[in-house]
Amino acid sequence: MTFLKKLLEFSGIHPERVRTRWVSSAEAVEFVHEVSEFVEDIKKIGPNPLRMKAKEAA
Amino acid sequence: MSKKIKEHISKLLTQGRIKGFLGLKEENGNVMPHLFCDPKELNALSLGDWKKSGDTRYPLNQLMIRLTMEYPEETFAVLVRGCDERGVKELFKWKQLAEDKVVLIGIGCPDELAKACECEKPFPDSLIDGPQGTKAENEKVARVEAMDLNARLQYWKTEFDRCIKCFGCRNVCPMCFCNECSLEEDQLVGTGEVPPANPTFHLARAIHMVGRCIDCGLCEEACPADIPLRTLYKKVGEIISKEFGYKTGFSVDEKSPFHIIEVK
Repeated sequence: MTFLKKLLEFSGIHPERVRTRWVSSAEAVEFVHEVSEFVEDIKKIGPNPLRMKAKEAA
Repeated sequence: MSKKIKEHISKLLTQGRIKGFLGLKEENGNVMPHLFCDPKELNALSLGDWKKSGDTRYPLNQLMIRLTMEYPEETFAVLVRGCDERGVKELFKWKQLAEDKVVLIGIGCPDELAKACECEKPFPDSLIDGPQGTKAENEKVARVEAMDLNARLQYWKTEFDRCIKCFGCRNVCPMCFCNECSLEEDQLVGTGEVPPANPTFHLARAIHMVGRCIDCGLCEEACPADIPLRTLYKKVGEIISKEFGYKTGFSVDEKSPFHIIEVK
């Protein structure tokens, strides 16, 4: 992950767009918390520039 | 300067220590890879690019793998620069070459070449002849890092969009020895389109260069679209070195942090 984030950053993609977390299947609350937090963070970063370009081209 | 090398190889051949020497030969003004089995042939020996990196370099390590597959019992010598030697060391670790069947004939690169390559160690440990050059600064990576995220994305997008998917970078790469390649798997990287999935195609290759890329720069020289692949893979090497303390190809004993499959 460390490697991937650094490489993405070098290629101009926000490193916070990828995340790994280890959550057990018994920890539902933890899971919801992680996903919600990720969604919030992603919203702050905004839409993926790669995706926007694909849409513009279409 | 190749006199010392010629004498050295000639000695190895006459003593029967090696079956042949894999190097470069000059014929009618062209330089090509050649397996020297007779000391008499050595007059045609060429050392390829000497002053700057150009197009007279070949993936000798790749040929070496093919050669040792055909003749697993024989010992061969191979011409190596600093980068080639790093490659050979990694290939030993990946069990693509046998350590006791390979004799290294090392040549050092002049500072001019080291600078053009931004080489970290422009001379092999098995140095027979040539200078023991100095480490060159890594400016190309720094140039990309000076840009902000958006500019970097634009930069790489423009570069990768020129890709004609010829697979030249992969085919020339002395470290790409896999029989099956993820880049050809439709489910991993979409196939059948030019330019290939941007930036997935090139980033997938970059990730696979972890613990493999020894920064020889053949990919960039082979690329017909002049994509600065070397800058990308240099960054890969830099991350591995900074974050994981691993220098690709510098030691035979130390394994890459991503080298999790133990090959016996």
